[in-house]
Amino acid sequence: MTRMLKDITFGQYYGSGSFIHRLDARTKILLLIFNIVFLFLAKNYYSLALCTVYVAFVLLLSKVPARMFLKNIKTILPIIVFTALLNLFYGGGGTVLFTLFWNLTVTTGGIYRAVFIAGRIVLLILISSLLTYTTTPNDITDAIESLLSFLRIFGLRGAVHVLAMMMTIALRFIPTLVEETEKIMNAQKARGADLENGKLFDKIKALIPILIPLLISSVRRAYELAEAMECRCYNGGVGRVRMKRLRFSSLDLAAALFNLLFCGGIIILNILL
Amino acid sequence: MDNHIELKNVTFSYSDGEEKRDIIKNISLGIERGSFTVILGHNGSGKSTLAKLMNGLYKPTNADGCVLVDGIDTRDEKTEIEIRRKVGMVFQNPDNQLIASVVEEDVAFGPENLGLPSEKTRERVDEALKSVGMYEYRKSTPHHLSGGQKQRVAIAGIIAMRPECLILDEPTAMLDPKGRAEVMDIITRFNREEKMTVVLITHFMEEAELADRVLLLSDGEIIRDGTPGGIFSDIKTLKETGLDVPQSTELLYELKKSGIDVDTDAISVEETAARITAAFHLEDK
Amino acid sequence: MSKIIEVKNLSFSYDSGAKDSKYAVQDVSFSVGYGEIIGVIGHTGSGKSTLIQHLNGLLKPTAGEVLLEGKNIWDEPKKIKDVRFKVGLVFQYPEYQLFEETVFADIAFGPKNMGLSGDELKSRVENICEVVGIRKEYFEKSPFDLSGGEKRRVAIAGVMAMQPKVLILDEPIAGLDPKGRRDIVSMIKNYREKFGAAVIIVSHNMEDMAVLADKLLVMNGGRLEIFDKVYNVFSQGARLNEIGLSVPTVTKILYLLNEKDRNIRTDIFTLDEAVKYLCGYGAGDAHA
Repeated sequence: MTRMLKDITFGQYYGSGSFIHRLDARTKILLLIFNIVFLFLAKNYYSLALCTVYVAFVLLLSKVPARMFLKNIKTILPIIVFTALLNLFYGGGGTVLFTLFWNLTVTTGGIYRAVFIAGRIVLLILISSLLTYTTTPNDITDAIESLLSFLRIFGLRGAVHVLAMMMTIALRFIPTLVEETEKIMNAQKARGADLENGKLFDKIKALIPILIPLLISSVRRAYELAEAMECRCYNGGVGRVRMKRLRFSSLDLAAALFNLLFCGGIIILNILL
Repeated sequence: MDNHIELKNVTFSYSDGEEKRDIIKNISLGIERGSFTVILGHNGSGKSTLAKLMNGLYKPTNADGCVLVDGIDTRDEKTEIEIRRKVGMVFQNPDNQLIASVVEEDVAFGPENLGLPSEKTRERVDEALKSVGMYEYRKSTPHHLSGGQKQRVAIAGIIAMRPECLILDEPTAMLDPKGRAEVMDIITRFNREEKMTVVLITHFMEEAELADRVLLLSDGEIIRDGTPGGIFSDIKTLKETGLDVPQSTELLYELKKSGIDVDTDAISVEETAARITAAFHLEDK
Repeated sequence: MSKIIEVKNLSFSYDSGAKDSKYAVQDVSFSVGYGEIIGVIGHTGSGKSTLIQHLNGLLKPTAGEVLLEGKNIWDEPKKIKDVRFKVGLVFQYPEYQLFEETVFADIAFGPKNMGLSGDELKSRVENICEVVGIRKEYFEKSPFDLSGGEKRRVAIAGVMAMQPKVLILDEPIAGLDPKGRRDIVSMIKNYREKFGAAVIIVSHNMEDMAVLADKLLVMNGGRLEIFDKVYNVFSQGARLNEIGLSVPTVTKILYLLNEKDRNIRTDIFTLDEAVKYLCGYGAGDAHA
């Protein structure tokens, strides 16, 4: 279980130093949103084909091995299949090809929709995983803080800072707590605790010897961390100036222009065909 | 005498439900600027509390007690941040004082809070990391470092605020022998080369060897105050207060008890050997 | 059958399967007899912790086997829990695993998992507390209200209550004051005497090892460097230095004295013996 937890949180970033890695994290987040919007705007197979070309190009550019992306597709495959099936049967339109039980009919329109939707989801996953593969969690955190900083005009500056601080501390302590959980689990297993077998109720009960020590130690850690932060002149982020400033460069401009081009292409294909 | 930190009649008590317990009992004490002071005490002697009183994290609980840092009373809330910057504090568990998941960003935390311009912070971070020998790890994540390395990063995080005084609360207690040696080396260097005032709180007697002054704390009171040599020769008191006496010192003590005329004020292996050499007149042979 | 535990060519890699997998423990073989106290030494990352987690089946060897009373512990993977009752493992800082409301309940956790209940459980806990000196007034206290040293004693008693035939402790005295240390050491000794169990202790402290252990197992870079009687291990000072370990402090002092007088012995490893020897030397019978 814990190994899985580690994979989820830290198996993500893949440093290959590509063009995409060097983009400002804010650019990547904004462009991701932009890309998602246009994936949904793509109305026909032609524009979807253009999207596919775009995604393939960007993935190649990232120099992240294809198997890393396939891994993500694989985990989410059941959802893709399920969605495609829904669309296949409820799609309607076109000629009826054949009828299954309960009046479930498969039509050409249904097949068209199912393939289209499945293709779109795959592209969505690919382009989203690109962000986490090419951007460290820290950079994502900083970018979110920076992107949300406009909220300060609504007097929410404190809230944005607290959110960013929470994300930073979470990133820092997740591996520590995962390791600690592992240690406590081993210690209780050495006392004969059975974490694998038994009914659901037994399993929940078996978690108590792990959760209580974990809770106690987390509270202790939180208390000590708070004192250490105070000793480092932290007072809720007032007057704090970050060392690392995110900076847009010509790379970001190039990426943005390229995206505009691609979006223009989709609009044209949507209208023309 | 130029006192960097001064405690005047400080009492700190803690009420646990109905019971009120004095953890620090009316201590008056001056820490000289540029000195290296070691406070020795067993678990529960109140040594951590004493440390936290020195940088204003805790305030005296008695009305007539006060702690002055550079003459400023720690109870004055307006100067709280200034005192924290001046008196840097390093804790026992390195894991629980690192905030960011990248080494250099963690070291930057203090200067960032002080509102320094980002170029200045960058300069200080690089400098602080170099001074503890962790510069090449600046992009690493603390989770992948050893205990000793993490503690060095924690020290760099304090040094980056350019404190004038460094208080370390059992910084080596959770480290292996190698990590302990690394951390002790850095601490003594900051005192000797940077003339930084250092207060080291520990229960390892060995670490007091290089101090200018040793204070022995027991049950909230300072029961001995002197040079390392003076304090160590009184092994009986050290043992009675439940302190860890190094085997070398213990050897001298036992020899003396057995009637051998030997000085018992040594800690290191070399000095101990020298004392025995002198007692047995081995040099003449 | 005089061996309780036998380790044969044990290797372990955390990512077995990978082609160039690095071994945390490589080709380690040794055996432990009933009632023996084995000290495991080695610097951080030498494979000590990985090795001991194999002895109670928390880790499964990548290659090689662990025999408990002549039987491979992985013969019946379903019964690995029984192995954990026979081989008790106390982790570093065991006080952090306390979770019950009372001292009694926490010590009873292990025996309860063994299937004991009622009077049997009660007498089992009372029995172990008597052996290790935890008084009855403590039974109903919350373990979280105890001092650091007391917590550790309760946590260790919790493993001892399973009455394992092999008791393994990882740095059991780290971070304690002298009194706390003495308490733990006497607790371990009492347990061994009473139950004839083998004890395996991992420690950084050579001075304690010299007093406590019968044999030392020296780990270096995942391999077993030396496994021999304490005397034979500490006699190899140069070799220990090479792998970042050292002889006890008194021995270091004797080495320095030996430079002044070649007649001074350097094969003394405990304080008591050193005092006795040096007193004798002072009295002039060093050459005797």
